Amino acid sequence: MRVLGCLDGSNGELIGNAVQMFTTSDEPLTIALLAVIDAGPRQDIDRMRERFWRPPMHHQPVTAEMLAAETAAAQETLNAGLAYAKAAETLVRQGRPELEIVNAAAEWRAEVIVIGARTEYGEPPHIGPHSVGHVARFVLDHAPCPVLLVRPLAREQFPINR
Amino acid sequence: MFLYLPLTEFWRTLLASFVGLLTLVGIMTRPFRWTESHIAMGGAVSLLLLGLIRPADAALTLLRDWNTFLFFLGMMGLSAMAETAGLFDWLAVQAARLAARSAKRLFLNVFLLGTAITMIFSNDATALILTPVVYVLVTKLRLPVLPYLFACTFIADTASFLLPISNPINIIVMSHYPLPLLTFLRLLFIPCLVVIAINFGIFFLLYRSQLKGTFNPDRLPSAENAIKHPAYFRYTLCVLAIVAPSYVIASALQFPLSTVAVAGALLLVAGALYWKRTTLVEAGKGISWSIFGFIAGMFIVVRAIEDTGLTVKFGNLLLRLSGGSSFGAVMVGTFGSALGTNLINNVPMAVVMNSALGSVQHAAPAIRNGFVAATIFGCDLGPNLTTVGSMATILWLLILRERDVEVSGLDYFKVGVLVTPVMLFAGALTIWLLL
Repeated sequence: MRVLGCLDGSNGELIGNAVQMFTTSDEPLTIALLAVIDAGPRQDIDRMRERFWRPPMHHQPVTAEMLAAETAAAQETLNAGLAYAKAAETLVRQGRPELEIVNAAAEWRAEVIVIGARTEYGEPPHIGPHSVGHVARFVLDHAPCPVLLVRPLAREQFPINR
Repeated sequence: MFLYLPLTEFWRTLLASFVGLLTLVGIMTRPFRWTESHIAMGGAVSLLLLGLIRPADAALTLLRDWNTFLFFLGMMGLSAMAETAGLFDWLAVQAARLAARSAKRLFLNVFLLGTAITMIFSNDATALILTPVVYVLVTKLRLPVLPYLFACTFIADTASFLLPISNPINIIVMSHYPLPLLTFLRLLFIPCLVVIAINFGIFFLLYRSQLKGTFNPDRLPSAENAIKHPAYFRYTLCVLAIVAPSYVIASALQFPLSTVAVAGALLLVAGALYWKRTTLVEAGKGISWSIFGFIAGMFIVVRAIEDTGLTVKFGNLLLRLSGGSSFGAVMVGTFGSALGTNLINNVPMAVVMNSALGSVQHAAPAIRNGFVAATIFGCDLGPNLTTVGSMATILWLLILRERDVEVSGLDYFKVGVLVTPVMLFAGALTIWLLL
């Protein structure tokens, strides 16, 4: 079975552990961990430059610094996942995360995508309406294979008022 | 050519209006990926070729606005040379150090830094230079990028009426309708503080969950590394320490601000050449030369429309809509300008308003000042509504969204639509109270 784990920089343990759940499957397990460098901010910066009558950012000195920072962040994201899924392949893509995830899943011939519900910024896991972020929602809608949506345990938020 | 043909005034008005309208629609829609500069220049050349404006009048129009052209040049030169010195990187690292690990405090510091840079270098420097610097910084610190990027892009416009030099729009309007420094500070500096506070408050609420974390200061790049050449860096600080108060003094004396900006930029270029931090070609690349064609084209097009009397009619309409009250003047001026900036970009809107404001010169001082301050305020803050561009860009992004393509620009639009009307109303109300 080919399982693709999608990392977002904050969920290395969650995704790293979740992809291991498929180890019990009878088929041999191949795991890949994916980190996407979000191209959105760069596109926004380019649109801003256009508003101020400037050409896009290519060839600007700061572009190299941006790329170096993004690459280092992506590598660190992958390392956080590799700590839990040591034998995993690693994939790095650049673009809109939701599009890159579904396209990478198709190219890599993933049979399952494992994705977190949303990026948590050190808060207790969010349950209830809007608990699935726009990236995960897009992947659920457009994935070429089954999707396993994972979130941290949130038992302390129960019982929900009936 | 029509200048010499027996065309009636009606046809001349119709033709000039048609070319003017076509130019503005072209700037809004940018067909065939033409740049705004080409469209504005095309409009101006068409008017000259059709004889709808005399070459001497066109030349006079451009000469009359020399202060605006030189200010753009000086402002871009100053920012580019300060960037060469590594000033913005150094300031960003200091802002992070002072945040003492707190993502929240860093967010506040980015707002304050953006405010200070906009105040001294203009909105251009914050939006174009500080934004990527902050992006690199927060990526290195592994903090969520979007709140900080939004902070930079919004504060560039929100803080751009603290001083006359904080936005070139202020120079365009004040070249025609000068406001004494104290009047400017009363009618625009104080409302600016109010809208900055609102901007920060709403953003803080919106992004509070993303700003809960801390960052590891070991990830911070060294401030010394940001300084590319210590002697040139110190020289840059000294020049800026002279330029900043000179701006205030020149504003108080109603002395052309462009001379201060250009003198400062020349000093920095001279220093950079001396310490071999740049070449003349490299320094030239820091300037957006196309903007001069754009402004020149717009000045000529609007002058031709002005000759037809249409902008006077527009000015009279604004006056009528204001109901002859200072409250109406501020509200009509603010929301009219803000709407216009999102349709045709803020420079053309400021030029159009400049022409239209001729009609309010004979109104009571409160109404006149109300219109002038509101025009500056609306044209400066208005772009925050569609931050990443004009309404045309947003419509295009919405079309892409309909086609199921996820687009990032819409995130800005959603925030802009939420925050900007509140800031516009609160700022306009403050201007009116201080009139």
